[in-house]
Amino acid sequence: MSRLWRDPAVAVIFVGGGNDNDLLKIYRKTCLTNAIIFNMKFPYCHHRHSTPDPQAPALEIQGLGVSYSSEGKFALRDFDISVPAGSALALVGPNGAGKSTLFKAICGLLPIRAGSIRVFGHPLDACHHRVVYLPQRSEIDWYFPISVLDLVVMGRYVYLGWFNRPGRRDIEIARHALKEMNVLDLAHRQISKLSGGQQQRVLIARALAQNADLLLLDEPLNAVDVTTRQTVAEVLHKIKAQGKTVIVATHYYAQEEGRYDKAVYLKDGQKCII
Amino acid sequence: MHYLTDPFQYQFIQRAIVAAVIIGVLCAALGTFVVLRRMAVVGHALTHSALPGLVIAYLMGASLFAGALIATVLTALGIGFLARDENVYEDTLVGMVPNIMFAFGILLISTTKSFRDLFSMLFGNILGVTDVDLHLIMLISAVSLIVLFLFYKELKLFSVDPNYAKTIGMPVKFMHYGILLFLSFTVVVGIQAVGTVLTNALLVIPVAAARLLTDRLGVMMVLSCIFAVLSAIGGIYLSYYFGSASGASIVMFAALIFAVAWVYKFIYDYKAK
Repeated sequence: MSRLWRDPAVAVIFVGGGNDNDLLKIYRKTCLTNAIIFNMKFPYCHHRHSTPDPQAPALEIQGLGVSYSSEGKFALRDFDISVPAGSALALVGPNGAGKSTLFKAICGLLPIRAGSIRVFGHPLDACHHRVVYLPQRSEIDWYFPISVLDLVVMGRYVYLGWFNRPGRRDIEIARHALKEMNVLDLAHRQISKLSGGQQQRVLIARALAQNADLLLLDEPLNAVDVTTRQTVAEVLHKIKAQGKTVIVATHYYAQEEGRYDKAVYLKDGQKCII
Repeated sequence: MHYLTDPFQYQFIQRAIVAAVIIGVLCAALGTFVVLRRMAVVGHALTHSALPGLVIAYLMGASLFAGALIATVLTALGIGFLARDENVYEDTLVGMVPNIMFAFGILLISTTKSFRDLFSMLFGNILGVTDVDLHLIMLISAVSLIVLFLFYKELKLFSVDPNYAKTIGMPVKFMHYGILLFLSFTVVVGIQAVGTVLTNALLVIPVAAARLLTDRLGVMMVLSCIFAVLSAIGGIYLSYYFGSASGASIVMFAALIFAVAWVYKFIYDYKAK
């Protein structure tokens, strides 16, 4: 019996989640010649997740036009930009200039009426897992009955897909992200019992847990305390050092100019040159 | 003790209790997401919209279940469809459509001149559950609860942060319609117990009471199931001993549980200060 277990004619293995590399590792570990590995992963979108194209820019937008309703006026028009991978870009402009609109269009929350968006050389559908959007705090139901850790673990869902439950590794990654944002001690607190700065840190921790390569941060420094501002600045620096691309919509550009490679100014839904 | 065991000698009471437990669990489990997604008003709309379906099925001699189900599903999809025009606000529709459907149902009833049936349609008659009804209730509940279990993780994310759910590629529109569809199923099951007018109460009150007592989603679901089952059984006993209308008794029992939970929370908070 034990010999059969070690050397069966054909082995069928079911694996929940994991990318191609993980599967290869499992395959090698089994040392079986005839192993059939079923990857029980059902991603949320119809497309398979593609690996980023190393040659392509992180974000390439051409002639983008976006509006909130199908006939309404454009909130963003004729917008072009190319952001090389590994750079940090500041998106500067007054309220209503179209910063959030741009982010929402990039991550698929708003339909595109004109132009095209490519992320790491792929259309967004194939690269959901590589892009993360940090929404403004007000867009979340903070009275929902879950703990901080639960919320941050949600950053792993994109890798789990339908039916798979978060495992020990996902929780480990979430805890690590919380530690990085200095809020690990809040892990079991109900999300309604957080201050504004803590809410922001928890949301950034969720974005970190997703481990994306392109981060779109919408006003991460708006109305938060000094400690939070410092932590966010440190983490942004660390993210950039890891070779990730960061786009930050901000009011505070003058104070933190040195942190970005480039700034783009937006006004009334159009790029403007100062 | 025999006060508790006496009613069990009747088969119709046994059936009613079994139905009450299943309906309670289903209503509370789905009700949790209905309340947390701020859809309590939609539940209200769907429950009232079942009436014309019930009446038409009754007049045609068809299955009341099927009639109610068709009417609620059509209403749910209809509201979703009409709300696509930005000039018609969804909450206006949700306030408007059930009134129209309800009036249509009453209009149909007034042509039949049978008010006994009207009463059980409006306020439910769990003591009159037949074996066929019971099997249907079990089937619908089993399917709904399995779906709820399989998609628990996604429903959780969809409720707390629908935008994030969309950015990672979840079909949020499809999920919204899915919740509406299962809400229709639940409403149709609940109508058997407490009728069109009161079903929404069974969806919402136990969940509201549970929300007062816990900050954990899992605990909240279990608690609201317990509350719903308790109020359903309690209502049946009330109805047995005092001859009160079963549906109304169930809802009043749920309200009592809510009141107790509220007072408990009030005292707990007061002490904590």
